[in-house]
Amino acid sequence: MDKKRFAKISSFRYAIMAVVLILLAGGLVILPKYEKNEGISADQLLSNIISLERYVSADDISNKLITQDPSFILIDVRDKESYGKYTLPNAINIPLKNLLDKEFEAYLNQDQYDVVFFSNDNFYADQAWAICNRLSYANLHVLKGGLNGWFTTIINPEKPSENMPASAFELYNTRKAASMFFGVVYPDQAKINTVVKRAPKKIITVKKKKRVAEGGC
Amino acid sequence: MEFLIANTIIPTHWDSIIAICIGIAFGFVLESSGFSSSRKMAGVFYGYDFAVLKVFFTAAVVAVIGIYYLDYLGYVDVGELYIHPTYVWGAIIGGAIMGVGFIAGGFCPGTSLCGVAIGKIDAWVYVLGMFIGIFIFSELYSFFEPIYTGYFLGNITLIDSFGWNPYWTIFIFSLIAIVAFVVADFVRKKIKKVFY
Repeated sequence: MDKKRFAKISSFRYAIMAVVLILLAGGLVILPKYEKNEGISADQLLSNIISLERYVSADDISNKLITQDPSFILIDVRDKESYGKYTLPNAINIPLKNLLDKEFEAYLNQDQYDVVFFSNDNFYADQAWAICNRLSYANLHVLKGGLNGWFTTIINPEKPSENMPASAFELYNTRKAASMFFGVVYPDQAKINTVVKRAPKKIITVKKKKRVAEGGC
Repeated sequence: MEFLIANTIIPTHWDSIIAICIGIAFGFVLESSGFSSSRKMAGVFYGYDFAVLKVFFTAAVVAVIGIYYLDYLGYVDVGELYIHPTYVWGAIIGGAIMGVGFIAGGFCPGTSLCGVAIGKIDAWVYVLGMFIGIFIFSELYSFFEPIYTGYFLGNITLIDSFGWNPYWTIFIFSLIAIVAFVVADFVRKKIKKVFY
């Protein structure tokens, strides 16, 4: 009896398999679709965003620029016009809206250099950082305070008041020296320059006199 | 397997040994399902045995459904899988030559080696012919090269290039498979039986 029933069922085995196949394939069509995560997971991204490790201070960047550190790339995420007016030395312009263009991928998706984003503030730079971080690109940083921070700390450092500690004065001197490297001329320094210019003139006149005397002999 | 190798769970110098093990398993399955017989292989073209069609179609459908379920559940990323590159004219001409060889000799390259292993003389002749073909191709490579490496379309799939919905494509593909099986069975019953 059991054998007969088994034979009866097994004569339908191909039909059963076909139905199973159709059901499985149909299941793929029917299953609710969801948007898949691209790049790193949401939790990871959130914890990366909360972390302040991405920020690099303007002092660090100026030090790297002065020592000609070859290990990093500066990326200006402002638009082309602002980039044309002023930018950091050797910065590459990748406007935020063109961040994911194919031509710029080689700069961002690599593990050779540290990438430092900056904009006027760190706002747009942070956005660029978040987008690239989500795509799990490596070695991304943001210039803390952006170009405004750059101006207030390096280009135009605030003079410490007299009751501040010596370290504040040292920092001020370092920043002042750095700003001079980037082309800022201070009034006291400018005076020195004019003095230096006068000196050779005097020497030249002295030399002329000597020559005249020699000719007389 | 790629996952295990890429994460150095299995060192890369085990590659060849793994390949040999997979090859032995594959050959065993081919032989035990009768695929080392050229009559069975050619049967699909004469209509008396559709085992080849059924096996390959079933394999493709089962694999694609399985992969897309794994993708849906997040175990496999379909976008990360290797897709064989397409060289249009190379594929068309090579496919035609392969098809003629298949009908004429009754073997495909894999099953012919199976036939060689169990000592079939037609398989020996077939493999000899295959090596002659390889020799001619290698000698005339510079002549064939423009076709061999030209007309490159990249690693494309039907789903990407036509913008089809993959799930519907799979569903329709499995329907086609089942219709093909039914039709094949119908044809086989009509054709006079061949014993081999």
